[in-house]
Amino acid sequence: MSTVRYKTSPDPVSTDGRDIDRKIAELAGEAADQQASGAAGKHIEKQAGTWTQLPQPHAADPTYYDRPLLNESVWGWAIPTYYYVGGLAGASLALGAALELQHAAKFDRLIRRCHWIGFLGCCVSGALLVYDLGKPQRFLNMLRVFRPTSPMNVGAWILSGTSGASAAAFFFRQAGYAAGLFGMALATYTGVLVSNTAVPLWNASRKVLPVLFAASAVTSAGSLFELFDQDEDEARVTRAFGSVGKLAEIAASVIAEQHASQVARVGRPFQRGFSGFLWRTAAVLTAGSVVMNLLPRPTRGKRLASGILGTVGSLLMRFALEQAGNASARDPRASFHSQREPLAQ
Amino acid sequence: MGTSFGRGGATDFPGDIVNSDVIVIEGSNMAECHPVAFRWVMKARERGATLIHVDPRFTRTSAVSDIHVPIRAGSDIAFLGGIIRYIIENERYFKDYVVHYTNAPAIINKDFKDTEDLDGLFSGWQKDKGHYQTRTWMYEDVDPEPAGGERESEAAKKGQPIQRQPIQAEHTDLTLQHPRCVFQIVKRHYSRYTPEMVEETCGIPKQLFLKVAETLCRNSGRERTGVFIYAVGWTQHSVGVQYIRAAAIMQLLLGNMGRPGGGVIALRGHASIQGSTDIPTLYNLLPGYLPMPKAKHDKDLETYLKLNQSPSGWWGEYTKYFVSLMKAWYGPAATQQNDWCYNYLPTLTGDHSHMNTVVDMADGTVKGYFVMGENPVAGSMHGALQRKGLRQLDWLVVRDFQLTETADFWREAPEIERGEVKPQDIATEVFFFPAAAHTEKDGSFTNTQRLLQWHHKAIDPPGDARSELDFIFKLGRRLKRLYQYEYADPRNWPIRDLIWDYPTQGPLEEPDAEAVLHEINGYTVHDGKPVEGFTSLKEDGSTACGAWIYSGCYRGGVNMTARRKPHWEQNWVAPEWGWAWPHNRRILYNRASADPQGQPWSERKALVWWDEKKQQWTGHDVPDFIVERPPDYRPGKEARGKDTISGIDPFVMQSDGKGWIFVPTGLQDGPLPTHYEPQESVIQNPLYGQQCNPERMEWMRKDNPYHQPYNDPRFPYLITTYRLTEHHTAGGMSRWLSWLSELQPEMFCEVSPELAKECKLKNGGWATIRTMRGEIEARVLVTNRIPPLRIKGRIIHQIGLPYHWSSKGLIRGDAANELIGFVADPNVSIQESKAFTGMIEPGRKSKGRRHVTSGRLVKKLPGREQDRDLPQARHKPETSHGFKAMETKEGNV
Amino acid sequence: MPGQPQAAPVKGFFTDTTLCIGCKACEVACKQWNQLPDDGFLFTGMSYDNTAHLGASTWRHVAFIERPAPLHPQNEGAFSWLFSSDVCKHCARAGCLEACPTGAIIRTEFGSVYVQPDVCNGCGYCIVSCPFGVIDRREEDGRAWKCTLCYDRLRADMQPACAKSCPTESIQFGNLEDLRKQARERVEKLHSQGMREAYLYGESAASQPGTEGLHAFFLLVDKPEVYNLPPDPIVPTKTVKDAWTAMAAGALGIALAALGAAFFAHKNGAQS
Ligand SMILES: Nc1nc2c(c(=O)[nH]1)N[C@H]1C(S)=C(S)[C@@H](COP(=O)(O)OP(=O)(O)OC[C@H]3O[C@@H](n4cnc5c(=O)[nH]c(N)nc54)[C@H](O)[C@@H]3O)O[C@H]1N2
Ligand SMILES: Nc1nc2c(c(=O)[nH]1)N[C@H]1C(S)=C(S)[C@@H](COP(=O)(O)OP(=O)(O)OC[C@H]3O[C@@H](n4cnc5c(=O)[nH]c(N)nc54)[C@H](O)[C@@H]3O)O[C@H]1N2
Ligand code: SF4
Ligand code: SF4
Ligand code: SF4
Ligand code: SF4
Ligand code: SF4
Ligand SMILES: [Mo]
Repeated sequence: MSTVRYKTSPDPVSTDGRDIDRKIAELAGEAADQQASGAAGKHIEKQAGTWTQLPQPHAADPTYYDRPLLNESVWGWAIPTYYYVGGLAGASLALGAALELQHAAKFDRLIRRCHWIGFLGCCVSGALLVYDLGKPQRFLNMLRVFRPTSPMNVGAWILSGTSGASAAAFFFRQAGYAAGLFGMALATYTGVLVSNTAVPLWNASRKVLPVLFAASAVTSAGSLFELFDQDEDEARVTRAFGSVGKLAEIAASVIAEQHASQVARVGRPFQRGFSGFLWRTAAVLTAGSVVMNLLPRPTRGKRLASGILGTVGSLLMRFALEQAGNASARDPRASFHSQREPLAQ
Repeated sequence: MGTSFGRGGATDFPGDIVNSDVIVIEGSNMAECHPVAFRWVMKARERGATLIHVDPRFTRTSAVSDIHVPIRAGSDIAFLGGIIRYIIENERYFKDYVVHYTNAPAIINKDFKDTEDLDGLFSGWQKDKGHYQTRTWMYEDVDPEPAGGERESEAAKKGQPIQRQPIQAEHTDLTLQHPRCVFQIVKRHYSRYTPEMVEETCGIPKQLFLKVAETLCRNSGRERTGVFIYAVGWTQHSVGVQYIRAAAIMQLLLGNMGRPGGGVIALRGHASIQGSTDIPTLYNLLPGYLPMPKAKHDKDLETYLKLNQSPSGWWGEYTKYFVSLMKAWYGPAATQQNDWCYNYLPTLTGDHSHMNTVVDMADGTVKGYFVMGENPVAGSMHGALQRKGLRQLDWLVVRDFQLTETADFWREAPEIERGEVKPQDIATEVFFFPAAAHTEKDGSFTNTQRLLQWHHKAIDPPGDARSELDFIFKLGRRLKRLYQYEYADPRNWPIRDLIWDYPTQGPLEEPDAEAVLHEINGYTVHDGKPVEGFTSLKEDGSTACGAWIYSGCYRGGVNMTARRKPHWEQNWVAPEWGWAWPHNRRILYNRASADPQGQPWSERKALVWWDEKKQQWTGHDVPDFIVERPPDYRPGKEARGKDTISGIDPFVMQSDGKGWIFVPTGLQDGPLPTHYEPQESVIQNPLYGQQCNPERMEWMRKDNPYHQPYNDPRFPYLITTYRLTEHHTAGGMSRWLSWLSELQPEMFCEVSPELAKECKLKNGGWATIRTMRGEIEARVLVTNRIPPLRIKGRIIHQIGLPYHWSSKGLIRGDAANELIGFVADPNVSIQESKAFTGMIEPGRKSKGRRHVTSGRLVKKLPGREQDRDLPQARHKPETSHGFKAMETKEGNV
Repeated sequence: MPGQPQAAPVKGFFTDTTLCIGCKACEVACKQWNQLPDDGFLFTGMSYDNTAHLGASTWRHVAFIERPAPLHPQNEGAFSWLFSSDVCKHCARAGCLEACPTGAIIRTEFGSVYVQPDVCNGCGYCIVSCPFGVIDRREEDGRAWKCTLCYDRLRADMQPACAKSCPTESIQFGNLEDLRKQARERVEKLHSQGMREAYLYGESAASQPGTEGLHAFFLLVDKPEVYNLPPDPIVPTKTVKDAWTAMAAGALGIALAALGAAFFAHKNGAQS
């Protein structure tokens, strides 16, 4: 417990907001060990601003003071970044395995790169998750159980599996195939993860999001490889791989938006506001990237440009999706309409 | 209530509300302020009762009511008068009840003149004294003795006791036709309170008024009953007592008193506020509503007793109670020879109620002040004047849980923030003592329904915190030690001789609270055995009793107040939960639940009845009557005391045993409720030339300026103040708690969308509210819950202000009481904080200015002020009892 | 299983909003019993609601709705004020529980949905998976919290603190089956008194298939939206099959893209 000066209180008060003098009483309630700095104001201000209209619900389309129905996700930058990194790693490992199947020595360097990116990607992924959770051992809590209803739990196992397999791939050829398979799951399960929520925009586009994530993972991998020194064979692989991904990503994002927009209010964050801006920008960047790929006479310059555009585009897409989801969670009408309209039919 | 029925307490208990068929809550926001008792209202509603809420605002009570009646604050007498008229004109009164149990048949003195005759004054106004002489209000040829209120005023004024006799049948007209009988007087008095007049005065549409009146009438009579519930929305007016009187008249006419699901329930505020009038913290009462001796006329015991002992009714027992009290206090020192130490008692020299005391502090005549469990700087009227008073003191003792605004008035206050007063210039020595909370001490609460409930200490108080009992006891011990060496001077004897010997216990040596209860209950002096009840008390000094009305609470040495048998294990009256005074009776005057022959008016509403076989009263509740007195008993001419109570006199405390529709004596400001406007109003009195209560207490001082009586262009809006569920009164127990603070974190004002538009106020934004006394700022809550009223085509806007905030605590805001001046009801000195005028403007402009320190806040209007009084009532002299405040040379501002 | 507590009858809440007087005793009782810190002081301007929403440290929340419409039988004036004390619904199919990757959220022997604070890792997945916006994470604490249905009190044979403190019995606690019966009777009674708009929200799987019924259900007199309740909530796992299918398609797509790219490059490379 710390001594806090409440904003509205003239005297500094020693409290963590519980009204219990810990010198006299011990806390034993269910929430006794809930950490609270006592920095009052923060929580409620996050939840609510000041309502400036007359308090009356709109009879035809009511809300409760336009307050959000849902709690938006508490995930910070680390989680969309993780989607990107995990996708990147997964797609790389899949590509590595596919190349392995060709049994061609000219791809050895590329395969090793795939494995490195896969392995490092897994490490970074783990780090990002731990960062978001706050404590390393908290990650392990997810491995206490196996819970198929929870894509996050399934994902934790996938990430663990991918990590293991990608590490093993350095030593055993066969492990590379396993890593490739795990990688495909790693690159796509996050799409299920966001779909399996009450967030209207994510849930409404659930039939597309895993595909979008898959495509974007391919984009990410393809684009990243374009930033390395490549010989012609390698460049051909990555260009082909990348352009398929990018084209698919653009297509999937259009379909995702369509799915979400079946209920106008749900899809709105794709079109409006900061999230809409990010979403559009990401698509433009990815389109730019694929244009660079498809222009005749590939040059190093075009390749680098494509790599940068594709990387930023796919990263941005993850952030845009996160933002759009949060925006739709904040909008009570997104939920209400998405549930009312099917009822009305 | 004391003057109407005989006792100053709620006549019913909340649990009985379930038996009501109609419930009127007026002048209270019961759901918000008494949520736990409100459960019974909800249950009654589930059983089909109709709930009516009359309130300027649509509150949480209104939200669950069947009918909400928006009313202009300060106009309730017009509304109730309208209902009384409706009942009488349409002959909807309960005739048998009215004839036998009320004073409707009584014939009044032929010199009586009504407000109808005198444009708002009753007969007896003394121009030179600025006061009523109430002789003309008396029954013809009989001077009844009031059971409550100002018990001896008439005699006092003449300086000698009046010869009194019991009231006899020949002074009544049971046909209610005599032109001077109470019934006819009442009928005339309210004849102008028509539905149209109600609409014009209260802003209540005629249709709505008629609906309420009809609902009330329909739910009264033999088979049905209705209850009236009020709290401080009624009392805090300069005519507060008369509001309650109006409800009493209504309930008597409808025959709702003393019956299940009937009565008038006063919701008491603090946990033991009823207790603090029973065993009073009031300056003018001794325990059990025995008046304090007055310096002017209570020269000796004999006079004092003569003036207070009624020849008829229960107050005939006065001497027994008084002597027993003196025996409890002075023990062996109190003897017949020395008049039971009568002259040890201090005598009153004037009005020492709260506001007068504060004014005396401000004027430098009161030097020291104990504040225990109160936070007047935030909770009492006119914060700036309160602090001015505190600044002039030599010493101030505050006992509380927190360093309240009162304890810290020298460090944190608007005038200090503004730099107008500097802490180093304040000479008051402040002592702050931490107080123990109720969980940290043994003791009892006496609540709304006169129910004493014991609370056991759960934990020792922390640190230096101690109970009041401990503090006072030890302070008393020290005083006695100081006084014991000065035997010679008789002035020291009252303290020297005081019995002050409660046993102490525990490591903190706290006095034993049960020992105090034992003393309150009373005991026989020779063996210390608890008495059975007040009927065992004697006037020969053989018994001692700390408060006769509580006698019986420790019967047989058992702490009756600690009984906790749940209501589902006993009958619905639940007599074995705690203990209620008097004599554990839960519904007062319950004799009236039976007809004159002693049988219930109806099976559905049976409560107590006369059992022919056993020859005694019996029933669900303890009979509030002489148990063995048969219904057909009639006293003879020679009867005195209790013997004058006939078999059909349910109101045993009254000298005539009847419920008083007309109060011949005991009230300062008239025998019948009459509509007067508040001290500051938005309209001129539509009924009388006399604008305000002529007897109101007002303080004409430079530091207490008033607005124009009505239509003051500088202050066009009507303001009312109230509570929120989330906070408690002056905030000492809620603004320091985060869980409550978060629920209502800032001071706000409630305004209608129309007013918001008119004044450019924005929901969630800031507003400044101003009166002559000061300005405050508040957040704006725009809401349809405080509708503007339409009166004679004019729109009346009201502003609502909760009063819980002040400058300290986890959350702070400006105190509503900074706006309110000193004005009070003449009978009980309660302030008028429910209706006054003011101005509201958008924005956070408040500079915290206060008239007391900053000088005039608003320009004086040119020309002479309108009048609050008729010419003959304009003169307000200073009086020894201080019912009129002093007129200062500085005059009105 | 040894150590597994014996199943008691399923317990729940029936919150009858027509009996609520908005006193917030339930909010405070919950905070006090569970020792929850305050959520900060903000004047919201939303009628008398200054806590706005359920959250990590507010497990009961009373909504205040000022409506420009009359409520039967108050037919004077076109205005009414509704109160409703909201709480975790302890859904029969609980989105939070099904989403929780650590198994921190369990179903207790009383049928309630309980978060074990020592297992919760703060991943926040339950937060987006609750269709009612109930469970939340406290910034400084980093774990998810919500109503426990007073698990500790139930184990001690006491009723939940909020129900205990409710002066008007707006919050009724008991065996779910009994409550459902009671609630249906109550609705019938209200209908017969003319309050036709009264209905039960989430009292059974039939009335709310998306959650298969709520263990904490409500009697309402206006659309759920008015109270900030979803009209037809669906636990996300009910629709997630679509996403798993899409994931399979996506994975297949990656495989095809990788194989295709590798094959194409290999082929073309060999030619040159
Ligand atoms: N939560 C909570 N409960 C409390 C308290 C508290 O501070 N907080 N305080 C306790 C105390 S000390 C007391 S005395 C009681 C007081 O209990 P109440 O008297 O019920 O409380 P108030 O809110 O002061 O006033 C009641 C209502 O009177 C209305 N009113 C104002 N002027 C008029 C008028 O002229 N006519 C009519 N008909 N109505 C009017 C107001 O709009 C308000 O709704 O509550 C007790 N209970
Ligand atoms: N404008 C306006 N003003 C009003 C009213 C209104 O309606 N409008 N209502 C009036 C009414 S009805 C009332 S009752 C007053 C209330 O006004 P106050 O009595 O001045 O206010 P409280 O905050 O109740 O003060 C009680 C104090 O006692 C302390 N306390 C509690 N228990 C104990 C104890 O055991 N021992 C000691 N020593 N201290 C204790 C609390 O911490 C608190 O600070 O306000 C009046 N003022
Ligand atoms: S605070 Fe106490 S007295 Fe007031 S309603 Fe609650 S329980 Fe009753
Ligand atoms: S309401 Fe939300 S938090 Fe509560 S059980 Fe249902 S899904 Fe979980
Ligand atoms: S935050 Fe805690 S309770 Fe919620 S899903 Fe994650 S581990 Fe489970
Ligand atoms: S059941 Fe317990 S934890 Fe849940 S809201 Fe009620 S008091 Fe709070
Ligand atoms: S305690 Fe009961 S009446 Fe009070 S707000 Fe909560 S549910 Fe409503
Ligand atoms: Mo009070």
